[in-house]
Amino acid sequence: MWLVRPVTAEDIEPVLAFAETHTRALPSTLPREREALAGRIKDSCAVFAGEHSAKHPARFLFVLEQVNSYEIKGVAGIDARAGNGQPFYNYRRDELIHASHELGISRRVEALYPSHSLTDCTLLCSLVIAEELRGTQAFELLSRARLLFIAGHREWFAARTVVELQGIQHSDGTVPFWDSLGRHFFNMDFATADRHSAQLSKTFIAELMPPNPIYVTLLSEAAQQALGEAHPATVGNLELLQREGFSAGHYVDIFDGGPVFEARTDSLHSIAASRRKILRGSVDADGPLWLLAAGEGQRFCCTLTPVGEMLDAALKVPIDTWRRLGGNTGDSVRGLPL
Amino acid sequence: MLLIRPLADRDLDALYAMAEQAGKGLTSLPADRGLLQKKIDLAGNSFNQRCAPEAALYLFALEDTTTGQAVGISGIQARVGRDEVFYNYRLSVTVNASRELGVHVRTPTLQLSNDMTDVSEICSLLLADTHKGGGNGLLLSRCRFLFLDDFRKQFSEKIFAEMRGVSDAEGNNPLWDALGSKFFDMAFSEADRLSGMGNKSFIAELMPKYPIYLSMLPSTARSVIGCVHANTAPALNMLQAEGFNFNGLVDIFDGGPVVETFIDNIRTVREAVERTVTITDTPVATDVPVTDRVIVANRSMRHFRATTLPLTCVDADTIALPQDVAAALQVQAGDTVRLAPLKDSGPLPIHSLKAPQ
Repeated sequence: MWLVRPVTAEDIEPVLAFAETHTRALPSTLPREREALAGRIKDSCAVFAGEHSAKHPARFLFVLEQVNSYEIKGVAGIDARAGNGQPFYNYRRDELIHASHELGISRRVEALYPSHSLTDCTLLCSLVIAEELRGTQAFELLSRARLLFIAGHREWFAARTVVELQGIQHSDGTVPFWDSLGRHFFNMDFATADRHSAQLSKTFIAELMPPNPIYVTLLSEAAQQALGEAHPATVGNLELLQREGFSAGHYVDIFDGGPVFEARTDSLHSIAASRRKILRGSVDADGPLWLLAAGEGQRFCCTLTPVGEMLDAALKVPIDTWRRLGGNTGDSVRGLPL
Repeated sequence: MLLIRPLADRDLDALYAMAEQAGKGLTSLPADRGLLQKKIDLAGNSFNQRCAPEAALYLFALEDTTTGQAVGISGIQARVGRDEVFYNYRLSVTVNASRELGVHVRTPTLQLSNDMTDVSEICSLLLADTHKGGGNGLLLSRCRFLFLDDFRKQFSEKIFAEMRGVSDAEGNNPLWDALGSKFFDMAFSEADRLSGMGNKSFIAELMPKYPIYLSMLPSTARSVIGCVHANTAPALNMLQAEGFNFNGLVDIFDGGPVVETFIDNIRTVREAVERTVTITDTPVATDVPVTDRVIVANRSMRHFRATTLPLTCVDADTIALPQDVAAALQVQAGDTVRLAPLKDSGPLPIHSLKAPQ
């Protein structure tokens, strides 16, 4: 059994250990350093408790917990406003037409424009899950629990939601897009830049990049191929996002060229299709699996459970699920079939 | 005698032959009769002041008076960038610096510019192989500075020249291959040819407008930016001796440098002196070394003439011209002519022969 709940201050040790082992292969916005992680957790606790102000970036962090062992097997986050008060940088892929009427020539030229357009969109971020759970229902739960949270606290989030997927990175750690572009302006490899980015904020690094558009045709062959391509390890995530209604738009990551997926928040499947229901416990409940989320703010939790015998506005769930989701008969929950 | 005079209709064949011989790389004079005729017409109108001064193109022919044939050409474009847009890349530097990161990276950057718009350009220098050496190139090039100085109103104070960039025997240019060709599907020689046909600004419209960060280009391309073709090195040396310097602009196609100076700083202009013509029956020596000769120019625009004479003809305030030279220069005894050293080789005797105050 799996449960997704807000991170708490006591989670720092297990989350730190988890981050250290699971963010090696794929870079993530989940901090690996104790201090940065502690700050992130503190921010998260504050916003779950309802402290929303300009001073506190609204950055929510959830953990995926194995119910019986209390082991943390995944982490996922939501930034209510991408950039958290700073500009959120991407490259926008655009095409220019270089045309000469006199010579009868018209040619498309692709260029990357530094852009802040996605600033203040809601950002799904920091998704890290134990490797053995990739593509399982637990992964589905971890990722989509965030959407149920958004559905339940809709006023905290923006009209559009975006997700950045990691771009192409070779097994030796080199990132072709970075090597062909960012590297020239920083004189450092991707790993070093990524470390600085984690410590100083991505905006800080992005602002050191040249402010002018970059012609795609001048990038290396490998970088051009990596442009807008997601890392193969993100395939499960990518498919899930597409099922939810996200699609890759014109934006790519400044560092690795990975795609940015975008959607209108209200039309995301888990948000549009989820319903409020009354929860009842039952010893003989059995049936199809549902994603069910209960509780508000810091008492939010979300789980996967068989749901039996649906009455009008009520769901019957096994007793232990019922307990886990709060244990009060008549509680309102939000859910949809998996 | 070799004589400078305005280019005329009868020079078309000779001009075509020279342009053909020069082959690729000479952008401003393509071997195209129609186009060359147009240039001759424009030059005629310019010397006769039948066109707007800004639109003028002064083309000078070097005539071998024994045959009447043009054996060389040089030119001054009164203003560039009037009818079409005149493009260069400015070679500048972008710095990315952060104290926190310990980063201070300088990235050479090409920025598209139109900075030479409305500036006078010296251009189109071409000399037949048969007449190379002997100071003929110097005469062709430097006579223009005497002309510029005498008719300053027609020109900008700043004068520039575009120098041909590096290319290999097949006419390939590494900068074009790495940059231009990515935006414009053709070989450098073809682009260069179109450019000479007057299509340069159309081609420029297809070129990248945003800054080009040189670190993103291969080193072969980076290494030729601001460099001249081996054949052009002597011309560059000559212009540098005149006071021209690289001004940070390069050609958008081949990366060749632009050199510029101001009229007052041009050595030929600074060192030019005036003398009154006297006519002599003594024939002049013809085998005088370049360093011992001076350029002599009449001061006419419409009938501009210039040639070289040995220093020995020059006196404190007169210059003794044999009858045939005076006729060729279209001057008579008592007229004023302008003189300048043909080759810069330190202070010349003509400067110590100061006229009494």
